[in-house]
Amino acid sequence: MGNALHVVVCAGTVPDPLQTLEPITGPNGPGVKNEMMLPAVLDPWAASALYEAANLVARNPGSKVWLVSLGSKAKLQQVMMAVAQKVSFELVPIDGPIGGFTDAHATAAVLAEAIAALPGLNRERLLLFGGWESATRGAGVTLQLVGERLGIIDQFQGVDQIEFREDGSFEVLERVEGGKHQASVCMGTPAVLGWATGNLAEPRNNPQTGMANMRTIMPALQKAKPAALQADGLHYISVALPKQHRTTRIEKDMTPDAIARELVEWIGAE
Amino acid sequence: MESILALTHVDESGSLTKASLEIVTAAAELASRLGASLTMGIVAPDAKTAATTPAPAGARLLAVTGEAFAQARYASDAAACEALCRAAQATIVLAPTGSRFARVLAGVAYRLGGVIDTHLTAIGGAESVEATRWFYRQRIEGILSREARPWFLLLEAGTHAAFTADSADAQVEQVPVELPALRTTVSGLRAPAQGAQTIRPDAKLLFVAGAGWTKKQSDGKVHAAEAGELILGFLRLAGASLGSSKSLVDQGGDGQPVLPFLTHMNQIGQTGATPRHAKGLSTCCHGEEPHVVGWRFIGERRAISLDPNCGWTRGKADVVYVADAFEVMAKLNGLLDAHKG
Amino acid sequence: MSSGMNMKEAGAAEPIERMTMEVDIACAGFGPAMGGFLTTLTRAWNENPTDPAFESKTAPGMPLQVLCYERADDLSAGVSGVVTRAKGIRASFPELNPAEIPMAVEVQKERVLYLLDPVGASRRSFTLRAADAVLRRLGRTLGIRDHAFELPWTPGFLHKQGGLVLSIGQFNQWVGAQVMASGLVQIWPGTPVSQPLIAGKAVKGVRLADQGVDKYGMPADGFMAGMDVRARLTVVGDGPVGAVGRAIDEQLGVPEGHARLEWALGMKMVIELPENSELEPGTVWHTFGFPEPEIFGFLYVHPERLASVGIFVPSWLGDPSRTAYRYLQHYIQHPALWRHLKDGNLRSWGAKSLDESGRIGEPFLSGDGFARIGEGSGSTNMLTGSGVDEAWTTGVQLGEAVIELLRDGKPFSKESLAATYETRRRASWVERGAREAENARNGFRGGTVKGVIGMALAGLTGGRLSLRAKIPPPQKHSASPIAGLNPKKLATLAQAALAGGRPLHDALLSARGWPEIEFDGRLLVTQQDALLMGGKVQALPGFADHVTFHDTQLCATCIQKTCISMCSGQAIKLGADGLPAFEREKCVHCGACLWNCIQTGQSSRAHIDFRAGAGGLHSAEN
Repeated sequence: MGNALHVVVCAGTVPDPLQTLEPITGPNGPGVKNEMMLPAVLDPWAASALYEAANLVARNPGSKVWLVSLGSKAKLQQVMMAVAQKVSFELVPIDGPIGGFTDAHATAAVLAEAIAALPGLNRERLLLFGGWESATRGAGVTLQLVGERLGIIDQFQGVDQIEFREDGSFEVLERVEGGKHQASVCMGTPAVLGWATGNLAEPRNNPQTGMANMRTIMPALQKAKPAALQADGLHYISVALPKQHRTTRIEKDMTPDAIARELVEWIGAE
Repeated sequence: MESILALTHVDESGSLTKASLEIVTAAAELASRLGASLTMGIVAPDAKTAATTPAPAGARLLAVTGEAFAQARYASDAAACEALCRAAQATIVLAPTGSRFARVLAGVAYRLGGVIDTHLTAIGGAESVEATRWFYRQRIEGILSREARPWFLLLEAGTHAAFTADSADAQVEQVPVELPALRTTVSGLRAPAQGAQTIRPDAKLLFVAGAGWTKKQSDGKVHAAEAGELILGFLRLAGASLGSSKSLVDQGGDGQPVLPFLTHMNQIGQTGATPRHAKGLSTCCHGEEPHVVGWRFIGERRAISLDPNCGWTRGKADVVYVADAFEVMAKLNGLLDAHKG
Repeated sequence: MSSGMNMKEAGAAEPIERMTMEVDIACAGFGPAMGGFLTTLTRAWNENPTDPAFESKTAPGMPLQVLCYERADDLSAGVSGVVTRAKGIRASFPELNPAEIPMAVEVQKERVLYLLDPVGASRRSFTLRAADAVLRRLGRTLGIRDHAFELPWTPGFLHKQGGLVLSIGQFNQWVGAQVMASGLVQIWPGTPVSQPLIAGKAVKGVRLADQGVDKYGMPADGFMAGMDVRARLTVVGDGPVGAVGRAIDEQLGVPEGHARLEWALGMKMVIELPENSELEPGTVWHTFGFPEPEIFGFLYVHPERLASVGIFVPSWLGDPSRTAYRYLQHYIQHPALWRHLKDGNLRSWGAKSLDESGRIGEPFLSGDGFARIGEGSGSTNMLTGSGVDEAWTTGVQLGEAVIELLRDGKPFSKESLAATYETRRRASWVERGAREAENARNGFRGGTVKGVIGMALAGLTGGRLSLRAKIPPPQKHSASPIAGLNPKKLATLAQAALAGGRPLHDALLSARGWPEIEFDGRLLVTQQDALLMGGKVQALPGFADHVTFHDTQLCATCIQKTCISMCSGQAIKLGADGLPAFEREKCVHCGACLWNCIQTGQSSRAHIDFRAGAGGLHSAEN
């Protein structure tokens, strides 16, 4: 295949999914308690996007992956220790606030500006990748906003598969309602793809990939430009943990027969 | 004064989708509360029939029609929605968070210099608009407001009743759209390869299978085939939708026996779906927090687990049966089968 | 760096294609010792990055190639809140501001408490009971409150005045970030090192664990053979149960007369104190006497209303029903602690086994191509109960030695490392402390009272006086019969426990009069909850089971099954076939099973193998 692709993956860091989260309100609005202390991971759906990007690049010689990430430098560095051994990419870090409560529109503006300024990026060959939603804000809008800002009008969300053809066109499977996929064919790049899980397993850690990546990652982190996010007119009235707590009836001694009978009644009850 | 636009679209039959009708209700309520003007916008190949349903709401009706809008595609849908918003001069745009509008409305908001919030579970406020949504995958609930307009508010399905009224004649204003060159063609919908349609958003009951189904059972062996039969049998008999824990779907890449009909689309939780069903039955699953956040919108919850200390027992389920799910499900399927017979 | 492919695998049925990579320095394990080593090395390089001494020999023209591999999925996934005098740490960071490190604070107030047993289930000797009775009678005079007697003074050897209360997880994170930012060193968490590469008497580097294997280690989906990282110097800092350190001991032996005989399991919670808490940050309590006389406990208060509270269950608690988790739940409920902890919330939880052999467990500190630092090198001082500062300092000493050898253009040979690293270590306060502590705990072989006397004797005389004892190997410690129970009663209990899905040790403690824990979902939670809510334990797929049992016949005949009793994560449970079954997803890598299997003595080799594995704790507040 002769599709040399320029894949830009937007990915943020999020607290490791197993952490206990508690909201706090500080001078800059709401946040998560101890967010800087909690272990972080690359946003899971964006990580799928990164692995898919690496897979595409491996199959299309002359291609390249950039990983554009807005977040605190310290967190990015920490997450890179876990991610950089998996696939090859060039990190484009932007030192700024991250978390669920920052404004997606402001985040998108910063990301779009950074992508537009990438040296050597051919916008005609651009595939803008990211997660279809994040594990922080979970709004699923940032990537579209970046795409619009870059003038890309072929956008796909909830993507599980991309298949390139000889002529440079590609087929995309997007998740739609009812556990189905919508299949579309796009004539070619540029396009925006917000990834769901995809079909690739998480790549294994390859020490050589890590070593090569880290040579460019550390200097990039040192030079990361600070970005301030504008959040005009967004007000949080409240942020709180859910109070829903059920009174659980625990049945330890019921026979399977009795449980089944009770469940039949429960399932049937309106 | 706010000017509200409710964006809707049709299904294959040409009628407004259920989620769209819920938006009609939400928009009518909000307009009445704020004393705002109300416009309905329809995206459809042909809006004539569809418009008769929301017509009794008494709103101005706008439509973008044509064959290009039979397909859910970014370029055409974004152009259609942009045109409707401009024609309505909307300051508040309500729309469902379904795949079709979720794909395009952020882009449209940008084109109009507006802002967007999605996955809203409520729109409150007395004289202003206050939007409620979840952050950190249903773990923290926030209420926010915005000054910028137009403000796009995408509501989760099931937050409002679908609008119902006797159909009425509708005066629909056609809104012209200038489409860009379309580079994408939608080929159609694809169901899972295995042919087992296990995800049913409209089902009353969600059945969740956890990793315990493919672990060694009391005889020291794995009974994946039997587990698969019991699960599929139950789904068929109870008309339930199938969800899964992450650990079970992840086994596909780990060389362990797996349930072939499960994919990541079935996954419920932090990195999976957060479906809405009246009831949920969890089996062989520990009830860890990252999974249970996906149950946020499940009404009544029961669990079958061998572990009397599993997460479900601590305020996450209404009833926990400490039992072997293999035995219970076999009995349950037998009873359901007999009832059907 | 250079790389290649090693096609042949000695001993393998079929050759495994294994990539190789050449670096200057390969490091196994990132903890305080490695932090000290890498901080020292990177500082020297940063002063003059063009210093030819720091030019790589394996990648000419590049700076020194230094790689560090850590098993845990994150550098912050450490296991302990500690109090340390921080003498060595402060020497490295003279301007240290504790506020820069989350959860760090200077020690303000220290207390040593002897806890009486308000429950009446503690296994106290007659002497101790008599002493307790006297204490209770003189309660008012001695100021006994909440069943606790505060020692009027903290013995000098125990006090940590001027030191720091730290979260090791956060400290590691803080150090790691600075080391990485230097650009000289790469640290890779989530990457277990399976073994050293040994040729003759020399260590030639490390082999990383295979990925994409099934639980038995056989290639499965996405198999990737662990890479051989060949290095001029291998720095071993993988702790007391680390795979590299143990393999070196097995293959190259240990110094004459040295052996690891004593150990302890440390288990603790990080608790968010109630809002009205009166405990000031920097408060340090050392306790003994409860839940069993042999169990030492601690409470350290961090900033922002967080406290580390935990216990050490020592190997000399010769009882197979010694479940640390159940004891920890009783410990926090002791009135002296509970008054402060009640209404608190569990933030984190963790466990770790500690090598408490001190100097007697010291391995060869260095040899051709390798050096040992930190706890695995026997640096922990058992008299002062201090390990982090000593570990850090051994790392610094190796760092200084390596810089000296680089500048002198000398190889990392046995002789040159002995002349630089070992010489520094022998002349330092770490060695002096280790000598003082060498026999400090011997008395505990004869009971708690004797133990405390022996410790005081050694502590107050600088180790010149101490009690003598013959200490059996660790696996013998737990082999004593189950005290006070006839076989018939034991069988009934075992049967009832099995039927109720409950571990035997839990049933035994209840039978001895320990009250059942009334779970409140906050601090009194099930062990599985502690794993999930506190430790956030998990394991990525694609790695082999790292705990294996060599001979299941021995397991079948073993009544005590201490591996199950002491498993910190309930990762080893009784399987349906009556044999211990390991669940990798629940393992916190404390390594207790490696020490406590009483069947080890029955076979010629360790009966439980504890290999390098990924996963474990994911909590950063430890």
